[in-house]
Amino acid sequence: MATAVGQKLTVLNPEGYPPKVDATGMAPALETLQGKRLFLVDVGFENSNNFMAQLQGWFAEHEPGIRTEVVRMRDQHQPDPELYGRIAAEGDAAIIGVGT
Amino acid sequence: MIAMESEFGIPTVAVHVQVFGALVESVARARGMPRARQAFVPVPMFNQPPAVLRGYVEGDDPVHGGPFMERVFDLLTRPLSDEDLRGSGWDRSTPRLLEPDTEENLHELFRENHWTDYLPIVLPTEERVEAMLAGTSHAPDEIVGKTRPTIGMEFWTYDVEKVAVNAVMAGAAPEHFPVLLALASSGDTGRQSSMSSMGNMIVVNGPIRNEIGMNFGIGAMGPYNYANSAIGRAFGLQSQNLQGGSVPGLTYNGSQGNNFSYNCVTYAENEEASPWVPYHVQYGFEPSESAVTVFYVWGNVWAEHLREHWEEKLKAMLVGLEPSMGCTFVLDPIVAREFVQKGFDTKEKLAEWVHENARIPAGRYWDHIMLNMIREVVEAGIEPFASYRKAPPDELIPIFETNRINVIVAGGQTNGHFSIFMGSPMRAKFRSMPGPTVSVDAWR
Repeated sequence: MATAVGQKLTVLNPEGYPPKVDATGMAPALETLQGKRLFLVDVGFENSNNFMAQLQGWFAEHEPGIRTEVVRMRDQHQPDPELYGRIAAEGDAAIIGVGT
Repeated sequence: MIAMESEFGIPTVAVHVQVFGALVESVARARGMPRARQAFVPVPMFNQPPAVLRGYVEGDDPVHGGPFMERVFDLLTRPLSDEDLRGSGWDRSTPRLLEPDTEENLHELFRENHWTDYLPIVLPTEERVEAMLAGTSHAPDEIVGKTRPTIGMEFWTYDVEKVAVNAVMAGAAPEHFPVLLALASSGDTGRQSSMSSMGNMIVVNGPIRNEIGMNFGIGAMGPYNYANSAIGRAFGLQSQNLQGGSVPGLTYNGSQGNNFSYNCVTYAENEEASPWVPYHVQYGFEPSESAVTVFYVWGNVWAEHLREHWEEKLKAMLVGLEPSMGCTFVLDPIVAREFVQKGFDTKEKLAEWVHENARIPAGRYWDHIMLNMIREVVEAGIEPFASYRKAPPDELIPIFETNRINVIVAGGQTNGHFSIFMGSPMRAKFRSMPGPTVSVDAWR
């Protein structure tokens, strides 16, 4: 299909269909972390456990009023609603990682 | 972490390595939480000692600047806006047709939008797409499947017409189209975003090979055949465009990339010269049926003939590969017959020999990212991995299980050469669609 110089063509969009983006609200912030219980969630990627151990050590040294507990996701490739439920019931906030 | 925030009400900071700044922002927007709590640490994370990791905690966030821990505290305690508490939904549906423009400008637009492999494409006009659609009996608006760049990212869907658009772009012909639809129906991607830079290998079986003139003889894996070339390129283009992109740092994160991705190592099995059953027959198809299989491969090693020291050589070729990733033998028919002469009268017997003889110390087996891949299997006590995990570090254990050892026959018998690719079809736990061997006939 040869086209003359300047002639305009109509072509189709090659992209697939993205899912609709629904609004997803964040959890309200805490007023303070003092006296709170913070879960440090190891997602299971290599060395994430050691990073969380260092993070826990930092809290113990610098912020002893913040209680921390390191937990690990059952499978790094799948959501872990059982763990999330436990954190919601027993904790106030979380740090999760390390995404690599 | 999106679910922890939105479904469980837990204020959560997600920590990532710095190279994923753009990716993380994009994913958060796509999940309707554009200002999700994110903090970053330097790379690398793997294989770093505790002192380095402590330095990451006490150092700066390399994406946002300022101390990492200050950012963590701020993210968890700074009051949120109403918009953050509500989230942000948005419409990103795309028009079927692009704005009319000149041929030159459209080529530039396709490159700028990362819709090509940066080689010239055929512009998908309505006339050309309609001609491609004549290659199948399926309706243009029939949904074919869904796929995504990697685990954790969102699925995009696509219909028959979308696959046709990409087939036109790659220069494919209507007779190739059923194979491309079958590939699209598999849910596999030719643009996997793994940091490991995995590529693909596509193997076609059954009568369709001859109907569309695929090459399984001399130069089968090289650039010497229209169908092989067009199908391989089209699978790559359709993968990147139908899944929502393959853009470095965003939807592609292979550290080094893989040259296999240009053509996805596409060829047909030489069923006529093979002494064994075709690959698709091993997985439940009749020889009279046509099917296609997608493998995920990283690279290959080459050798020739089964000479006097063939066992020692074969073991040496295998034990340097990464455990558990699987392997795929691609044997010239001459070598396949040499294996038969040594008693391997089925592909399964060869796989069993590899399983029994290619072994590495357990300590090395587990000194690898694969522990993360199958940890839940080990912890559930599933064999043989549970026993492998308990083995002393110096005990020799199989590097591959038989279900991850594949054998294909291809080549033109100019000599007895063969390759062993590291890789296999995608594990069942990571699949979103049936497969990995899918029917071509269903898409005629």
